[in-house]
Amino acid sequence: MTHNRQIRNYRKILSRIGLYSLVLLLLAWTLGPFAWLFITSISTPAKLNQIPIQWLPQAPTFEHYRAMFDPSNPTGELFLAALRNSITVAGSTTLLCLLFGVLAAYALASFRFPAKQGLTLMMLATRLLPTIALVIPFYVIIVNYIDPIFPLFDTKRNLIALYTSFIIGLVVWIMRGYFATIPKELEEAALMDGCTRLQALFYVILPLSLPGLVTTALLAFLLAWDEFLLAMIFSRTANAFTLPYFVFVVGSSQYYQSPAAVAAGGVLAALPPVILAFVFQRQLVRGLTAGAISG
Amino acid sequence: MKKRDAPTNSPRLSIHTSEEKFALALVTPAFLITVLIVLIPLLYAFYLSFNRAEVIVVGGQGGLVTEFSGLRNYLYFLSSADFWYSVRTTLYFTVASLAVELVLGIIVALLLNEEFRGRGLVRTLLILPWAVPTVVNARMWGLIFEPHAYGALNGLLQTLHLLGPERTINYLAPIPLFQNAPLLGELTSWLGVTRGLTWIIVADTWKTLPVVALLLLAGLQSIPLDLYSAAKVDGANAWQRFWLITLPLLRPIILIVLVYRTMELFRVFDIIYILMAYTIPVLGVVTFQQSFVFGNFGKGAAIAFLIGLLVLLLANGYIRLIDLEERE
Repeated sequence: MTHNRQIRNYRKILSRIGLYSLVLLLLAWTLGPFAWLFITSISTPAKLNQIPIQWLPQAPTFEHYRAMFDPSNPTGELFLAALRNSITVAGSTTLLCLLFGVLAAYALASFRFPAKQGLTLMMLATRLLPTIALVIPFYVIIVNYIDPIFPLFDTKRNLIALYTSFIIGLVVWIMRGYFATIPKELEEAALMDGCTRLQALFYVILPLSLPGLVTTALLAFLLAWDEFLLAMIFSRTANAFTLPYFVFVVGSSQYYQSPAAVAAGGVLAALPPVILAFVFQRQLVRGLTAGAISG
Repeated sequence: MKKRDAPTNSPRLSIHTSEEKFALALVTPAFLITVLIVLIPLLYAFYLSFNRAEVIVVGGQGGLVTEFSGLRNYLYFLSSADFWYSVRTTLYFTVASLAVELVLGIIVALLLNEEFRGRGLVRTLLILPWAVPTVVNARMWGLIFEPHAYGALNGLLQTLHLLGPERTINYLAPIPLFQNAPLLGELTSWLGVTRGLTWIIVADTWKTLPVVALLLLAGLQSIPLDLYSAAKVDGANAWQRFWLITLPLLRPIILIVLVYRTMELFRVFDIIYILMAYTIPVLGVVTFQQSFVFGNFGKGAAIAFLIGLLVLLLANGYIRLIDLEERE
């Protein structure tokens, strides 16, 4: 008996050791690459070229970060412009998507009207299209037909419009699912009390949907912040280019300075979404799951 | 109020009640955005794909010349060996990534479903790669794959003594795997299975694994626990419980992951373009190159629609495959 229990104990300890080793492995895989990006960003060229490899910098330097925020430095000037553009573009896209997406989602969730099914499907289908399929007609239409009348090429408003059209489908989809979970009785009670439809939406439904709104806003913001292909094709100058384009350009031949500068730019571009993801981790996971499962 | 309670299939003339009008008013902005910015351009792209649409630059003045050419753009690709090579390479990227993501995703999900100290923290940290922008991810792995001894992966392998002190690997080299093995080498060069693309799969998986794992974890958590205890009573070991309960019940979510990831993987562009420019001709890169480097917008549009078609075929294939298994 004691022998058996001992064996069981050993097996339990072994399986715990196995479990914790796997967890450590997962953490190393998850954090290691980003840690290396950060280490590169605070390294001197001498440290980066050392053989054999030196894992931790003996004399860390933050000069690359300082350079990024220095408007008199050419790289810093580009970075600051890209940062401003990214905030404007991702922020405006999120606001527009939420405003129009929430209204549409509310209508699709709680009313019956002609062509409802078709509209829902159409909104969803925009999410399934490859960006590249739309980039070509966008480019031809904008450059050849719209730009001569109304300048769109290399402007932020162009990126905002394009991103909004891509992301609004997702917003409608997730919020529609969210509205469907809110009991109809609450809305009906508000209407009985003399609220209009819009008042019921803004004073009763939306406050109740706050967690869903936060999730959706975050997803929209992160998608817009991450977008690269459209930003690359439709921006040329500091007027419109966003952080992904900056990180791309700063690492390619013409502007290339050092791996450390690229890494510093990368860390800074990743910081806002990473912080948001950590803070709102629970909501994001729920939103992603809802978006995928109902999609 | 009453309108909403009416049975769904009640025959109804299109009388626009005030409620319907209100609902339509709410949907209109989103609808207009979608139609103007997505639907019309898409139709235009379809039109372009049947045209020889090229940018002609004369004396610094550029202009688009379109000329109807029927199916010529499509036939150009369908009869080109390069196109089929691109299809195979893209398929390799898609299928290999999917396999890695699913297997690792299930392992990570099972791991996070166990109870251990700090599980909440690990779950939070796991989301980091997903939040890192694609471009940053590409640049980051570019640094890790650095071909010299000071590159992180070469350094790591040397530190672990898996690589001799004088040896380094050029991870992103576009050479076929097992190039010198007699038959295998020919197969990999035909398939477009190159070393560079294989390591890019690792880099791309780093970013996408969290979402796949978290989706599968949500699926795992929805499996009723008493199924497991009942199976335990019946004497099923952990392995059997996994194959007989976990996997079948995860099937719907696996299907979702398969379809959603295939769509994204098959149109891959960013990471491959940033790390390799045009050396690995996956379909997304070829589309971009045709349109924005060669200026053949008609051909680019045609290939974009071919990508869409192939994705549909793949998604259809999965659904049938999983349906079939379900019926057995």
